[in-house]
Amino acid sequence: MECVVQGIIETQHVEALQILLQGLCGVPKDRVRVHEFCLKSGPNLGVVPSEVRLLCDLAQPTPTWTVRHAGGAMRGAGAEQLSVLVRSVVESKVSNNALRFFYAVGYKLDHELLKIGFAFRFQRVVPITVTVTSANRMPRLHAIDDAVPLTPGIQLVEITAPAAGDNYNEVAAAVSSFCEYLVPLLHLSKPGVSTGIVPTAAAAASSLLSNSGGKAI
Amino acid sequence: MDVGGAVAAAKGPVPSPAVEAVAPPHVERLNPVVEQQLHLESVKIRALALYKAVSHILEDLDAFARSNSTIKWRDALGQFSMVSMQLFNIVEDIKNVSKAFVIFPRNINAENATVLPVMLSSKLFPEMEAEDIAKREQLLYGISGHPVHIQIEKLKARIDMIGAACEAAETVISDCRKTYGLGSHPGSTLVPTLDKVQAAKIQEQENLLRAAVNLGEGLRIPFDQRQLPTSLPSHLADVLSFGDGAQNLADNSGSCEKNTPAFSSTREVLQMLQTPGGQLIGRSVPSPSNATAFDNPSTPPMAYANSPRSDPNIMNTPSPQQQAQRQQQQRQKIMQLTHQQQLLLQQQLRQSSITGVLGQRSISQLHDITGQTQQKLQQIAGQHQMSYSHPMLQQQFQNGQLQTSHMSYNILQNQINQGGQHRNNINQLGSSSNALFSAAQASPNSQMISSMSASMQSQSRLPRMQFGLTGGHLQRNHPSQVFNDQMFGMSPSNPVNMLAMQQQQQGGFRNMSTNAHDLQPGMVNLPNTIQNPNFPQQQQNQQ
Repeated sequence: MECVVQGIIETQHVEALQILLQGLCGVPKDRVRVHEFCLKSGPNLGVVPSEVRLLCDLAQPTPTWTVRHAGGAMRGAGAEQLSVLVRSVVESKVSNNALRFFYAVGYKLDHELLKIGFAFRFQRVVPITVTVTSANRMPRLHAIDDAVPLTPGIQLVEITAPAAGDNYNEVAAAVSSFCEYLVPLLHLSKPGVSTGIVPTAAAAASSLLSNSGGKAI
Repeated sequence: MDVGGAVAAAKGPVPSPAVEAVAPPHVERLNPVVEQQLHLESVKIRALALYKAVSHILEDLDAFARSNSTIKWRDALGQFSMVSMQLFNIVEDIKNVSKAFVIFPRNINAENATVLPVMLSSKLFPEMEAEDIAKREQLLYGISGHPVHIQIEKLKARIDMIGAACEAAETVISDCRKTYGLGSHPGSTLVPTLDKVQAAKIQEQENLLRAAVNLGEGLRIPFDQRQLPTSLPSHLADVLSFGDGAQNLADNSGSCEKNTPAFSSTREVLQMLQTPGGQLIGRSVPSPSNATAFDNPSTPPMAYANSPRSDPNIMNTPSPQQQAQRQQQQRQKIMQLTHQQQLLLQQQLRQSSITGVLGQRSISQLHDITGQTQQKLQQIAGQHQMSYSHPMLQQQFQNGQLQTSHMSYNILQNQINQGGQHRNNINQLGSSSNALFSAAQASPNSQMISSMSASMQSQSRLPRMQFGLTGGHLQRNHPSQVFNDQMFGMSPSNPVNMLAMQQQQQGGFRNMSTNAHDLQPGMVNLPNTIQNPNFPQQQQNQQ
């Protein structure tokens, strides 16, 4: 399981966000360049179509593949009170045969996406990963070099933390409390819930970027 | 000390009148007006209160210092400010009337002997005096020679200029505070608001981005534009090979798909026979080149792709009725299969994951078989080889019921020898078949033979039809149990056999019906048989 929140930030403030995260996390940032394949099962693979994502990490010297399946979100009154989305997730490293394997099984490529950005992975009660990426689409199949940003002015910020069935409350609380630190720059919410940008983000960003390090209110 | 002096002075005259009252000599009294102004009693009370407060604070500080706990500076500073305020008030009051008094030390002792001269002196310390003189020089530089009133005016002008500069600085600071939102009091900052147009644009972009990342909207390439580029990125170059890319796109419009050969190849073969040209049958195979791995959504899903179906209930799933209706069309369409489609199909089959499926058999045997077939098949229209047979082998091996290698060998021989309807095509593959048979002879292993049969099937659909013919004959000639084994040994071809027989529309089908029924329990017994569950039922429908 994982707890996840998403938010958007204007591309012009991404650098300020990076500085803020650097200060909060204390770890160097990791480059993110992931080619994501979203595979959907055909109607003959079961009554309910399932979706599997294959992530190819191109930032490494040799591309590494990960298969990931995200289940439905937790529902109920308790889930609605949480400010994060809790959903079941199965993730595993796989060899580069995975794509061919899934094709052979009967999955078909639904869409593909290239995510370019950076990520911070650190520990704050629980291991938290903050990813800031711009989503790029490919005009032709697998044409990575021709990828163009889907929304040039806006990038996606995603904060995830792994959780288990018995501790997801603590994990949700940890993620929420970390999100409080990012309030000057962006609003975070459950995926699917639109948030908008923070109007005063410009001021906060400028103060973060200024050398004197003046405090932003 | 000032307070002490003032109090002493104040107290001085107080007791003296009292003393004087006892003694008759003249009494020094304060001027009654001054006395009223002085408010001696109140000053005394206030002085005492101040003394208590200061001593209290000193005690607290002492306790903090000893206990090493952090002082609550807010409280301490508050108390200090109160004390200093009280002192200031007292001194102010006394200042008004201090001119009336002359202070002289009443009680000199060792404690204050050194301090009193300093306290009483009206002259500055030498350093302070020197500093004072230097500053005065600096101030009056250039105008000291002038008459005094001019000096005064010039000094006043300077003061005014400094005052004006200070005011300008104040305004600049306040303006900057407003601009940067650093107002010292709440509500002074102006929150920049987005105008509606901008906000709407951003909202739209945000929805686009979220939908794309979470749901994939806006990223789907239309199916007609999905052609694999000639130059793949490096991480895909060895994953996808040319000819694969067009196959795996989520569409039914006739693009090929890879199948896990474990059992899907069976269906694929069947489906290719059944549904060329993009028709969706109940098995949901649109076209021969578009064989999907699974058919019939009502069948229970596999635990994993290559797990054999062990659930006996599988056999009871209803067969799609359409298959029987379309077999005639299928047969014709099979003949029309393009070379490209065959090529693609063969590539699929060949590239199946061998190791995952097999795990029990030596691959070398299989490679030998395929190698031989490859040599032969390469002579035929440049078709590629398939390692399709390997998963088939696994099933059959796991079955453990392949007892009749001779039977299968004979079957193959019969198949090759039969003219059939597509003799010309068979002849094309005859050489390859011979290769397989020679391999079979070399190692009369039921596994080998079944693999050969499987690989034979995989080469094209036409020989499968031949197998079907043979299978039909076989059923007539052998006991059902053997037949079952044979059928399972040739499990990849079983569906084909069924169909082929059906297509032939010959009397031999009658036997098939009984055998088909026998097949059902037989098939159930095999734990790892991956059978098309519909076949026996097809038979029933057919006959």
